[in-house]
Amino acid sequence: MQRLDATGVVVELAGNSPIVGGVGNSTFDLIPFDRPANFYMWNSMGMASSIALGLALARPDLRVVVLDGDGSILMNLGSLATEISSGVTNLVHVIWDNGGWEITGGQPAGSPFGVDLEVVARGCGFVRTATVDDLEAFRAVFAEAMADDQAWLIVGRISPGDSPYRPSKNCVWLRDRFSAALLPQANGNAKP
Amino acid sequence: MLDVFRAEDIRNLVFLPDTVMGRLLALAEADPFFRLVGVHREEEAVGIVTGLFLGGQRGAMLIQSSGLGNTLNALGSLAMAYRIPFPLLVSLRGELGEFNPAQLHMGRAVPGCLDALTIRHVTLSSETDLAKLVSGALKTCFTAEEPFGVLLSALLTGWKPEK
Repeated sequence: MQRLDATGVVVELAGNSPIVGGVGNSTFDLIPFDRPANFYMWNSMGMASSIALGLALARPDLRVVVLDGDGSILMNLGSLATEISSGVTNLVHVIWDNGGWEITGGQPAGSPFGVDLEVVARGCGFVRTATVDDLEAFRAVFAEAMADDQAWLIVGRISPGDSPYRPSKNCVWLRDRFSAALLPQANGNAKP
Repeated sequence: MLDVFRAEDIRNLVFLPDTVMGRLLALAEADPFFRLVGVHREEEAVGIVTGLFLGGQRGAMLIQSSGLGNTLNALGSLAMAYRIPFPLLVSLRGELGEFNPAQLHMGRAVPGCLDALTIRHVTLSSETDLAKLVSGALKTCFTAEEPFGVLLSALLTGWKPEK
């Protein structure tokens, strides 16, 4: 499964739900599917899951999607426990697993050594989890997660490949555009 | 402190406790206005208050000086870069009455770390003018759209009898 294709499925099925992109390729592959309700991180590696959790706490009327990387979540594994202990149910946490730090040259980390992020998530208390490696299986499980009323964690195994796309480098503009898209009057941001 | 937070509509207290913050958190827990969100590493709290702000709610971070060391990149590359306002309450270890040698250095480094990130801060050393200082810090924090450090000195909070 290619990350770009899977990202397209996420945006297609997300409806009006906000999507938080993790640092690097997780954000970069969102750019061809750019929309105001996408939030793009330029650094703060590991923080995507925590940003999405804060957003899920602030907006229980929305289902919040986060596209994380395996390297990123390995930097902030405790956030999986926090997602559960905070009690949020409106979070769909996707981790793209390419087996390492691709953007810095493909150094291996995590799954090549036997780290199973779905098992980690279940150990933290996630009840709804999946690991998928082809696009149709990903589409089916992501659709199920978006229609559910529980927190989900999905590990998507992806092929290698750096993204050539980049977001705006005006962080305050990215912030304001995203916040404005989530205002209740903006576009009827009801649960899709 | 909690009254000032309420006046600024800061409902979300994102924390990793120490004994000082534990007293504040116990008061907040008894008050339905506040929502307490515990984290497992302080850096998470920077992300969570960012997400709260993006979703239209205000939050504060409550941590110990040792935990500030765990937040520095997120403070610089998320909170400062994206201009996310929140009070950053830090209870200071290492300055007065410290019994633990491993608390000295990070505790003493707190003001310098915040200065290096150009994060403004005030230190609370007594109950005199406490409400005015916190209220002023919060007003500037949200005007500037940046974190603002509120450092709780051991002169205010006391120190442990342990030798």
